[in-house]
Amino acid sequence: MATILVVDDEFGIGELLEAVLLDDGHRVITAMNGRHALERMAEAKPDLVISDLMMPVMDGGGLRQAMLNNPEWAEIPFMLMCAVPEAGIRERISQYDAYLRKPFKLAEISQLVARLLQSRAA
Amino acid sequence: MTDTETHDHAAYQAPPRLASGITGLDEILLGGFVTNGIYVIQGTPGAGKTILGNQLCYNHVANGGRALYVTLLSEQHERMLANLQTMRFFNPSCIARELNYVSAFQLLERDGLAGLVTLIRREIVGQGASMLVIDGILAAEAQASSALEFKKFVHELQMLAGAGDCTMFLLTSARDQTVAPEHTMVDGMIEICDAAYGWRSERDIHIRKFRGSDTLRGRHALRISADGITIFPRIEALLHTPPRRRYASPQPRVSSGVAGLDAMLGGGLPAASSTLVLGPTGAGKTSLGLQFLGGCTADEPGLMLAFYETPEQILARAATIASGLPPLAQSGIVEILWQSSSEDLIDRVAGDLLARISAQRAKRLLIDGLLGFADMTVQPERIPLFYRALANELRGRGVTVMCTVEVPELVGPVVQPPISHLTPVAENLILLRYVEQDATLRRVLSVMKVRDSAFDHRLREFDITAEGIVLGDGFAGAQSVLSGFAQETAASDSGSG
Repeated sequence: MATILVVDDEFGIGELLEAVLLDDGHRVITAMNGRHALERMAEAKPDLVISDLMMPVMDGGGLRQAMLNNPEWAEIPFMLMCAVPEAGIRERISQYDAYLRKPFKLAEISQLVARLLQSRAA
Repeated sequence: MTDTETHDHAAYQAPPRLASGITGLDEILLGGFVTNGIYVIQGTPGAGKTILGNQLCYNHVANGGRALYVTLLSEQHERMLANLQTMRFFNPSCIARELNYVSAFQLLERDGLAGLVTLIRREIVGQGASMLVIDGILAAEAQASSALEFKKFVHELQMLAGAGDCTMFLLTSARDQTVAPEHTMVDGMIEICDAAYGWRSERDIHIRKFRGSDTLRGRHALRISADGITIFPRIEALLHTPPRRRYASPQPRVSSGVAGLDAMLGGGLPAASSTLVLGPTGAGKTSLGLQFLGGCTADEPGLMLAFYETPEQILARAATIASGLPPLAQSGIVEILWQSSSEDLIDRVAGDLLARISAQRAKRLLIDGLLGFADMTVQPERIPLFYRALANELRGRGVTVMCTVEVPELVGPVVQPPISHLTPVAENLILLRYVEQDATLRRVLSVMKVRDSAFDHRLREFDITAEGIVLGDGFAGAQSVLSGFAQETAASDSGSG
């Protein structure tokens, strides 16, 4: 069982991801923006972060940079979510391990999460 | 546009469409539902919501999809399936395989909306359902503690539709509220209605909201039969953009079938035009129409839509006045369609007519008794626009049309078309009348209008003989002929003296 932090400000996305990941047997913690996510990570270090890009207070780019600046969190796999095509966001953020375009597919989530957790374990 | 912009636009392609497989529905949706959209289907009890929901599922399964039908406090599954057995789309072999019925009322009572969402998500994933129908969504709304909670529920379904690759339909009864919470959130709102018009009842469907595409707006007739639901798009909406065709100059002419009338028209009826032949009963309208059809050939086939006489009656009459017609009908060059003008749907009849014209490659069309359309509909006020749309379409297809229209006045100074705003639509107008002269009732033909063409304005007496309509002389020496009572002119009196 892995601990996964889901970060999204939009109602419904976090709830859906949480439900799917719980069904897959993971422990899920949620946050509504990058700043909130950093607070949650200080409480419990996750095995994987799934974060939206566009959020208030601190966006996904800010969160990723803060993680990279902290040696304790720099190696945690980071999955980025956004509604725009991947080519459109590369100027804002480049260091992520997987990209999930919204609206995503349920099957896609489970597969991507399994792959990222597997690569981390390896 | 820059390369980047081109790339960005390509990344935002229009979502794919999901054909409903219901005749007429995909036409008014201009291609079907948006895949993974969420739609509310609202209607009065008995309007056909459950049939529509089931038909969508069975059609989806027939096309290789998988469907889930969730009921919330609606009729029992056994009873619903028993009622569906009379429908041709019903296919018991797919039940509990590609199509699953789930009753979720007890779970809803016990676990609330959160439990219902979890059930739906697990069922969609577990069964690989790409279509979901929730029948009785009002029960879910009643379970919500607030409007906000119900909106959250709909939002979660929306997320699930996109993430689960599942197109969803929420069936609900009509309510007094004009805008229900879910209406603002979903991708489309479809209303079906069963309304009484005097002694009659008609069903219709109305796409009230549809994200991602234009639709044929307004109400369209809906019928439930052993075929399930069939929708007949409103002709005025369906044919709003008729096909365009090149016009030759001078415009080719098509014989009316009466040599003298062709001369009055300046060489015949303009090809691909529409002509109204107005006159009282027995004046010779159908005879003229049959002679017009008698000019059909293998290269120029024809079609007749008759509202008041059967094909047998028509052919018997044609044998005496348009003897060329029966052999043409026998060889299939002319097809005669009979349509009772009692209760029916004008959009169904017009749709069938257009289909037959295409199949027959008809270039001449006679509609004998245009008012048959008005007689059969509960919306006679539609007829002028309906006829305009039909005439424009037929013109675009290169069909020369003649329509007979009965006027109520047998003799008299006033001829009142029974439907206003009808005559301006037709390019050509021919008036047949009775006139009393010398204590004898005579028939008179006059050409009232030939659009963009000169024509003979004289009144001509005519007879219907064994060879058909034969035009006689004009009414020289007579005046006030169109009053219905011809009188000798003063000039004629004094000229002789």
